[in-house]
Amino acid sequence: MATMSGERPRFATYMIVPAGIVAVVIVCAMALMLQDAFRVHVPGTLDVGGFTLDNFWRLNRPIYTKAFLDTLLYAALCASLDLLLGYPIAYVLVRARSGWLKSAILIITLMPLFSGDIVRSYGWLVVLGKYGVINMFATGTGLVAEPLQLLYTPTGVVIALVQYAMPVMVIILTASISHVDTNLERAASSLGASPIATFFRVTLPLTLPGILSGTITIFAWTLSAFATPQIIGGGRVQTIATLIYGVGFSNFNFPLAAALSLTALILIALVLAVGGGLARMVITARGLT
Amino acid sequence: MKLRRFLPVLASLLLPILPAHAAETLTISVWGGTFRDALAESVGKRFTEQTGVELKYVTGSAVTRLNKEKLAQGADTPDVLYTTGHVGWLYKSSNLLDDLDVSKIPNVSTLPAGAMLSPAHIGAWSYVYTICYRQSLVPAGMTFTSWKDLWNPELKGMIGLHEIDPSHIIAVASKLSGVDAANWADAQPLLLELKPNIKAYYASDAMSQDQLSSGETPISVALASNCYHLAESNPDIKVAIPSEGAVGSTDVVAVMSASTKKDLAYKYINLVFDPQVQSELAKALKVSPANPAAVLPDELKDLPGMYASPEKFRAETIFVDNKLRSEKLGEWRQWFSENMMNQ
Repeated sequence: MATMSGERPRFATYMIVPAGIVAVVIVCAMALMLQDAFRVHVPGTLDVGGFTLDNFWRLNRPIYTKAFLDTLLYAALCASLDLLLGYPIAYVLVRARSGWLKSAILIITLMPLFSGDIVRSYGWLVVLGKYGVINMFATGTGLVAEPLQLLYTPTGVVIALVQYAMPVMVIILTASISHVDTNLERAASSLGASPIATFFRVTLPLTLPGILSGTITIFAWTLSAFATPQIIGGGRVQTIATLIYGVGFSNFNFPLAAALSLTALILIALVLAVGGGLARMVITARGLT
Repeated sequence: MKLRRFLPVLASLLLPILPAHAAETLTISVWGGTFRDALAESVGKRFTEQTGVELKYVTGSAVTRLNKEKLAQGADTPDVLYTTGHVGWLYKSSNLLDDLDVSKIPNVSTLPAGAMLSPAHIGAWSYVYTICYRQSLVPAGMTFTSWKDLWNPELKGMIGLHEIDPSHIIAVASKLSGVDAANWADAQPLLLELKPNIKAYYASDAMSQDQLSSGETPISVALASNCYHLAESNPDIKVAIPSEGAVGSTDVVAVMSASTKKDLAYKYINLVFDPQVQSELAKALKVSPANPAAVLPDELKDLPGMYASPEKFRAETIFVDNKLRSEKLGEWRQWFSENMMNQ
């Protein structure tokens, strides 16, 4: 089918209708859910009452503000630790000359993605438990006298979330590192820079867009993590996602759950907007665009 | 020519809408694991032999299945429901259950008064939540003769409690505070004193068994039946019935109002109350039968937490009225999550 000017429409034009239908359905479903945030909860039923802002006032209670702050903290810790641990893996993956080594690293890094959140979380129950792998090693070698308390604590949740998000961070960093022109590193070396200086003054700055992209992605992703905090947290570590689930599906208080969801959505959007803006400023200032 | 090429594709798209010729099935909503297996063995097989109708099971926790039915509002509904007594009241108040026509369930005629928790659901068996513990992992000599023992400072970070239904510990705290469950607010200070001793919450009976078996929570307020099953393979696990009594509960069976196979549903439910079936379920699940004509196996008669009659059950357990429990559950859960469950 040709346009008025006789040119054939671009392929993307054919995608507008199905994309629009999906977008409208998603927005309508979210609007229906989020409008409950402004309605009164009728205990014991799914019915809602009239307009109210009480659900938002209730969020001032310590458990909810603590859950919001804790979730932001866990997400920031996960993003930082994934960056510190994931960068060396991605660097070796890109720079290794051996094909079998690259394949081995790739398979080991990506394998957790095939097992699903719940399976991985149950695996961590065995590793982090009082009589689990870590404590058996620590007590058996005499590193500690008593087993470490890792399960049902924020420490255990963060450890499991770091592993949960690591494959994605490695993928993003690998793409970024692979775009660094090795001639620039060779030029720095030929001008007398040590390998460490070359890395910190040439390679690392050139991968800054990937670092920022990976950090923001992992931060946003772990903010909404549910299965891992629910299983590893054992009801003692509350995040936004576990609270929304508990309030909605255990207490049947869907208006409060909707208020939590809407507040979380706005908070996450603000954090990502600020983070994204800062990232763009840094990239522009360094001339990396 | 082009249309002929697409005919096989079009035909395969039409297949799902052709009438199915599968055998008729009756759908049973029940907990998974041991409960599903025992009911399939004792009730399901008999039902299929007698009627030729196969059974299909939808499983999940009581609250999870309630949520699903409330959201589905009759779409793809099961026919027969097993749930806990107080959650049954939540189904009834959401208009998800039919009032039972007991003339179609002859086997319930011998049940004592009070077996019908509401016109829509009837008690199928009773059980208790009590203190289960790993003897080798608790302080030496600790045997839990009273619920108050849970507050012992030596038990810091050792207890597992139910996450979704805190009614058991609330009933206990109310009893220890000298009030009934309706006035549970007076028991809140005692509940808050217990907080340092709580290590984790379990979202399902399976998780409570995992936590107890692995030793993560050496002490658990859990379903006695599950603890007896664990103890069969791990003698270190003990079940204690405190002097104040264990917390009694009743599981119920009902007909879903949106079911299109109600005659079959009644035939199924009648089988549940057959004395022989009730004996088999008592043995398999370690629960107290609802039908007084059921014979408790010898090895179960003296087991702590098993009661030969509903009267004995009501007299010796901490029993909270199921209707009150259903009305208070949301309030209890809200308070628990805001005050007890955070670090």
